Amino acid sequence: MQQAERKDSMTGSLATTTLGWASGASLIVVLVTGLITSPKDANQGEAVRLLYVHVPMIWIAYGSFIITAVYSGLFVAKAASRPDLGRHLDRVAGSAAEIGVVFTGLTLVSGALWGRITWGVYWQWDARLTTTVLMFVTYLGYLALRKLPADPYVRSRRAAIVALIATVNLPIVHYSVDWWRTLHQGASITVGNKPEYTNDILIALLFAVVAFTLVALWLGIHRYRVIRLEEIREEEGIEMAIAARRAEAEVGS
Amino acid sequence: MTSNGDGGELGGRQDLDGGPDLTPRTEAPHADDIRRQLRAGQRKWVASIVAVLIVVVGFIVVQFLRDATLFFRNVDEAIDQRDDLGDRRFRIQGRVIPTSVDSSSGVVTFELMHNCEVAGVRHLTDPPELFDNPWTPVVLEGRWEPGAIDLVSGEDTHVFVSDRMLIKHTNEYTSDFEARVEANLPADFFDGCDITRADVGLAG
Repeated sequence: MQQAERKDSMTGSLATTTLGWASGASLIVVLVTGLITSPKDANQGEAVRLLYVHVPMIWIAYGSFIITAVYSGLFVAKAASRPDLGRHLDRVAGSAAEIGVVFTGLTLVSGALWGRITWGVYWQWDARLTTTVLMFVTYLGYLALRKLPADPYVRSRRAAIVALIATVNLPIVHYSVDWWRTLHQGASITVGNKPEYTNDILIALLFAVVAFTLVALWLGIHRYRVIRLEEIREEEGIEMAIAARRAEAEVGS
Repeated sequence: MTSNGDGGELGGRQDLDGGPDLTPRTEAPHADDIRRQLRAGQRKWVASIVAVLIVVVGFIVVQFLRDATLFFRNVDEAIDQRDDLGDRRFRIQGRVIPTSVDSSSGVVTFELMHNCEVAGVRHLTDPPELFDNPWTPVVLEGRWEPGAIDLVSGEDTHVFVSDRMLIKHTNEYTSDFEARVEANLPADFFDGCDITRADVGLAG
């Protein structure tokens, strides 16, 4: 009985435990490829190793926000007709946005450190950096909105609409280096073109992308389950509070 | 127990027998009231956070409109707009001609090239580390100042005096140190220019 209750309150499973170990192992591989086997860049020297953190971070952030957009769209379109009133869709959107915000934050930090070494400054208000920080703040707002006290369905619907609006900024962030003059470099990998990396650097980057994606996936699944547990706790808390007050009233009458 | 929950005639929450008062403190509220109470404090916090976020977004948009849309002028544009720019401060972008760099006089002087045009530069502060890379693209902050100067492209009447340098590294990453000039220099960089590769110390 106790074991069953414990299982219900946990966020792990055999699959996520395996995924967690795989994430950890792949991070060790990234440490080796990124810090040891990968060569220095001819221009940037050792600073190129930040590439293996910075680029996967922003790709994961993009991916997370796209998942948020897709599930928010599904929520707006289909939640009312679903038996759970779209709570699953809302949880996926919310947990993906949290992962996206964390990884965008890490992108900004790693980018600032990289910028200090290469550009000579931590920060510059060019189009790429400005739109990225705007994306970060917008999704922070989205997460704040998700905490706003309201009926869960209404709150989720409002959040979904904000998420869809926030999605407009994603292509702006990505193409800002093409649309405006920026201090930030242009894209090194574009569809239909040969990547602007030598193979040794490209392979290390691909390892890093795979490893950080596994980490993000692992975090995202756990976050989804934590959100579900929070919802259960909130519902139970309200029910218990109501029951307690009613009991008080009955004793007093 | 006869307390009405406000103290009443018993003058407080004291039971006649001296035991604990188990009377409800208030009348049992409706479920919606409980929800409202639980969320009231939370709402204030969220409203504060949203207000802060609005201020932050406003700041970012202002910065964006001011700085981001025209982050720099390329060398050819800056030369073309020299009369309009006057002594205004702006950013200029181009590639540093390696053979022109001279730091023997305490300030760094060099020539900056883009779209076949060349500008003479006098830079007053320490350049970033990556400035030493050949043909590295840089963004400089400063202004035009009158002064005759001999450049690889011929004589000019103005020098760009800068006090801030940003390295605008390329999107190419290579472990081949032999190839780094090519990594920094687009293949068509000299196409259509009067200046040749030989003029700036490059082979073929």
